[in-house]
Amino acid sequence: MIRLYDYVLSASCYKIRLMAALLGVKLDQEAVDFHPGRAHKSVAFAQLNPAGTLPVLVDGDLILTESTAMLVYLAQLAGRDWLGPLDPKSAAQVQHWLAFSGRLAASLGMARLHDMLLYEGDIDAWRAQGHAALRELEAALSERRFAGGVWLVGDAPSIADIACFPNVALSQDGGVSLDAYPSVRLWTRAIRALDRFVEMPGIHRLHELRPAPEVA
Amino acid sequence: MTPRWIATGLSQDLPKAVAMAGHWQGQDLAVWRSATGRVQAWNDRCPHRGMRLSHGFVRGETLACIYHGWVYGADGVCKHIPAHPALTPPATIRVAAFACVEQDGVIWVAPADTVGAPVALRGLQPLRSISLTCDVAAVLAVEPALSGGDALRGLVQIGGQACEVCLLVQHNAAGLTLHALCAVGVDRIAASRWVEDLRRRAERKGAA
Repeated sequence: MIRLYDYVLSASCYKIRLMAALLGVKLDQEAVDFHPGRAHKSVAFAQLNPAGTLPVLVDGDLILTESTAMLVYLAQLAGRDWLGPLDPKSAAQVQHWLAFSGRLAASLGMARLHDMLLYEGDIDAWRAQGHAALRELEAALSERRFAGGVWLVGDAPSIADIACFPNVALSQDGGVSLDAYPSVRLWTRAIRALDRFVEMPGIHRLHELRPAPEVA
Repeated sequence: MTPRWIATGLSQDLPKAVAMAGHWQGQDLAVWRSATGRVQAWNDRCPHRGMRLSHGFVRGETLACIYHGWVYGADGVCKHIPAHPALTPPATIRVAAFACVEQDGVIWVAPADTVGAPVALRGLQPLRSISLTCDVAAVLAVEPALSGGDALRGLVQIGGQACEVCLLVQHNAAGLTLHALCAVGVDRIAASRWVEDLRRRAERKGAA
């Protein structure tokens, strides 16, 4: 079974748990004491990932330490539709959003780590960079809506959407509101409405999609 | 004079059974559309614990708070408290409602006792709502074709053609939100890029 070294509050770990759930892939989840234990910075963990980051995905002799590579691997294994359309433009756009997700982690993600897990750094700069990234995402998604689209690339959700979703949906944990980004908000709703969607602390499912408990 | 009716969003950004945040002159509002399409604007605080109702969820013709699930009906009165299912909540548990109308693809809000209607915007299609960290003066400075105070209007160049636009102004703590409309028939992707460019120029001017 594919093993995921995991931390429940990590946006990048959730990215992989969500992708696996949407694909119907079962993961062997190994919880790492990221906070406060900093077990991912231990000498023992460096044997697995010298960079000391989470998540880490292990399948046999394959060890992956970059979450976007894990998305590609899971989609190649279990649902190639999730790689997005394969024409040159679409394939390049998917790569664009995979790289862009790194900017989201470096801005919104760091603002959240600052506010939630006491990371030290320039919170104002992280939030400003987060807003700059959200403006780009909002403009792109608005253009997609004008063309009748919902997803970042093509007519179906892809690894591009899953790569960008967690840090955007968690942005308020880092003091960055989505109030000014209507297309981004509707896109996060579309992802949360997907069949087999799973939650994490801070990202809840759409309660309205199920009947109220009393009448169920 | 401060207008009574203020644009707080575009209809296209509030599908059925969705809630979003809005505001009127610094008063936070939960703006939501019921399953049958009715739009309402309420004080954005649950009377129970003060949670923002704009984070809540819509079932049918009711809005429920995300925190403890208190359910409010179309009149703003609490109808149901999940932790006390047998209780009929007293009518005093009520969310204050603002006046809210949807017209020309724009969602307008005003205090509850407001009479009259917002200004009509004929021949225009909704484009986008965008927020800026500058003031109206900076927008007018970089786009002289625009004029106005609460609604900036004019003929601007989009894709090499003169195009009528209307930017409805909503002030907020960080600057302003512009709810942009453009003439029917204009390519909205080109118009959206014009709005992005306008924002960059205006914010640069405002920071100078």
